[in-house]
Amino acid sequence: MGLGAAAASLALAGCGSGSQPGAGTARATGEPQRGGTLRVGMTGGGASDSLDAHAPVVTADGGRVMGLYDRLYEFDPDYQLVPGLAESAEPRKGGREWVFRLREGVRFHDGRPLTPQDVVATFERITDPDDPKTGASALALLERTVAVDERTVRFELKEPDASLVDSIAQNSMGIVPADYDPAKPVGTGPFTLGSFEPGQVTVLKRNPDYWSEPPYVDEVHLLNFNDQDALVNALLSTQVDVVGQLPLALVDVVNTDPRLHTVLSETGNWLPFTMRVDTAPFDDARVREAFRLVVDRGQMVEQVFSGHGTVGNDMYSPFDPGTPTLPQRTRDIAKAKKLLAEAGHPAGLEVELVTAPIQSGAVEAAQVFAEQAAEAGITVKLRRVDSTTFFGDGYLKYPFSQDFWYTRNFLSQTAQGTVPGAPFNETHEADPEFRALYKKARATMDEKQRNQLIQDAQKVLHDRGGYIAWGFFNQADAYQNYVGGGFGHRIGMPVCGFHMRHLWIDQEGK
Amino acid sequence: MILKRLGVSVFVLLAVSLLVFVFTLLLPGDPAQAILGQQATPERLAALREQLQLNDPWYVRYLTWLGGLFVGNLGTSAATGGSVNALLASKVSASLVLMVIAAVIAIPVGLLLGTWSAMRQGRASDQALTGLSLVLAALPEFVIGVVLTTLLSTTVFRLLPSVTMAAPGTHVWDRPLQLVLPSLTLILVVVPYMIRMTRTTMIDVLDSGYVEMARLKGLPERQVVFKHALPHAVGPVAQVVAMQLAWLAGGIVVVEFLFRYPGLGQAMVDAVNTRDVQVVQALSMIIAAFYVVVNLIADVIGILANPKLRTESHS
Repeated sequence: MGLGAAAASLALAGCGSGSQPGAGTARATGEPQRGGTLRVGMTGGGASDSLDAHAPVVTADGGRVMGLYDRLYEFDPDYQLVPGLAESAEPRKGGREWVFRLREGVRFHDGRPLTPQDVVATFERITDPDDPKTGASALALLERTVAVDERTVRFELKEPDASLVDSIAQNSMGIVPADYDPAKPVGTGPFTLGSFEPGQVTVLKRNPDYWSEPPYVDEVHLLNFNDQDALVNALLSTQVDVVGQLPLALVDVVNTDPRLHTVLSETGNWLPFTMRVDTAPFDDARVREAFRLVVDRGQMVEQVFSGHGTVGNDMYSPFDPGTPTLPQRTRDIAKAKKLLAEAGHPAGLEVELVTAPIQSGAVEAAQVFAEQAAEAGITVKLRRVDSTTFFGDGYLKYPFSQDFWYTRNFLSQTAQGTVPGAPFNETHEADPEFRALYKKARATMDEKQRNQLIQDAQKVLHDRGGYIAWGFFNQADAYQNYVGGGFGHRIGMPVCGFHMRHLWIDQEGK
Repeated sequence: MILKRLGVSVFVLLAVSLLVFVFTLLLPGDPAQAILGQQATPERLAALREQLQLNDPWYVRYLTWLGGLFVGNLGTSAATGGSVNALLASKVSASLVLMVIAAVIAIPVGLLLGTWSAMRQGRASDQALTGLSLVLAALPEFVIGVVLTTLLSTTVFRLLPSVTMAAPGTHVWDRPLQLVLPSLTLILVVVPYMIRMTRTTMIDVLDSGYVEMARLKGLPERQVVFKHALPHAVGPVAQVVAMQLAWLAGGIVVVEFLFRYPGLGQAMVDAVNTRDVQVVQALSMIIAAFYVVVNLIADVIGILANPKLRTESHS
């Protein structure tokens, strides 16, 4: 698996070194300084904001869970798994069991040591059948978790699962004490909770006893904004130090201000169109291919992401080592028309596309698609709804719609969205070949063999899947120049993937 | 007469509560779906619906809430799980502060400028003021807000904070500079109407027979205006002021959004997004009550200022 104890913890160079992805690094130079309060502004969130380690929903919830809690494994800036609270993870019995060895000397915020019993309780809480948390569906194969000795935990699975470590590294899998109460959240994370006002501000305080390098700043204030204009105004009037998820259209604008700079990360974040493969007209693979052929992907990235992204090839998980490099599908109107005619739509066809502002760029992408498709005789009627309606009763039932996903590896993404029984099978994918390849890959512990299987499965997705995966967008953060330590992170979450302990403030520059 | 109006007001409020409740039912999606968003699985939805008592029929939920209202309990927020009173207390006071500041400045400024303009009818200064107030009245509040922010905070002069940020446990008014831009925006929205209405009313009054009579008696102009003309203008002007104040209660939504002001408007947008019915209800009732009270006061002032109505109400 290559997940042995060798990897050297999560230590990241304070200031972005050359090995890290992403276009820019912070301007504040010199030695990192201790102290100060870092004010981070982001849009989204409201009265239902949460501190619960296992139920993050909006982006800012992600910031809170990443600050307060640690996971057994984490993703590094290159989206590689590295040890977190666990030192090592070893598969046993062909992947039916996973044994995690816990790091020594880790303490919770209240001073108590981390024990295997806490890990067991954490995963019992996540998979509680009466109140399943966000991560429960990814742990569907987990039968039980056993504390073996003082530093060892064993995960027993119903079937072998090569992606277990990937699953438990997701941000909703934070380790909490056995008597965890989300109202008084205790974790092992680099920050403790100062105060929390849903929809307004969350104050995180430096945890001086953090098991790795403690944060440079004394406090982080996570500030909610409802409006992008207000957020950018706050940046311009120096009322916030960092803006997470800067709208991509504003990257160039912010860069013209001499006081500010941006840090861009290449990510696996994608904003696909979803075609239900079990519903007319998309039950015909030729129609799906025609729809994929009408998209001018370069133009789409240009218009929707202001050029800050990469084109997709109807496959997800660009960072998965198993993802193959196939010939790029490009726009071909003649072929699309021919395929539509063969499928019984010689005069073109009319479809409804359900769209909502579920992520910045989603509605714009739908509008661009409607324009591009018109040339092939496809009339796209846009039905625009608000986000709550979108994720309401109709969600996962729309014949033709959109969705948004953060970076994930192939097995974990597929388990969430592309096999029968997956909680978010929006395309109603049930291709027997794809499913068989996926299941085999999941049960294959040998990395090389597994990557080969993933490659074959991706090929099926590319040839006849239900997604139009037309592009992946960069994640942009805006920093005041006196903030140092910012780096790009492939995970797709803002502010260095919410590894905020690496950021520092140049007090003189401020 | 005033008692009758009070009775009507209570009836209006009840009707509003029922209407708002029905409309929130018509919104697609329920609080559980709104809270879980993209993370909603059927199992998680079922668990949350049970917690939020969303499985009760709608009229049971409505009557429970209405009953609570009479003992000062605004209900339970689906989004926070806490009481609506606790959720809204700080937000109502924050919005009230903004509205009171705007009103205290806007009302005298509007009335004085309107009167002054009427007295100088047709002169250059009157025309300039009339033109300016027409332009301002035509601009939506967010345009005024954006222009002020660019001018005074982010681009031209960097003098004022552009958004409101209260540290936890403190009040928005602990940093008064943050209140300048939002209140200035509100003032610039309501003052033009007040100027224009006061001016029109005053011109009518200044043209009337009794003002002519007072002038013919040789009274000084100042006395003519303030003693004879102004009292007759108070009734109609009070109506305009009331309308503008009532507008503040709703118009504040956009302004709060723009300046990240933690008040009623923000709470309202948030509650609609999370389908938090009881919070939407409570806010609607607060805003409706504000409308009713402001209009009631304007009516009373009108009655007291108008000798005809005043004597009618005595008889």
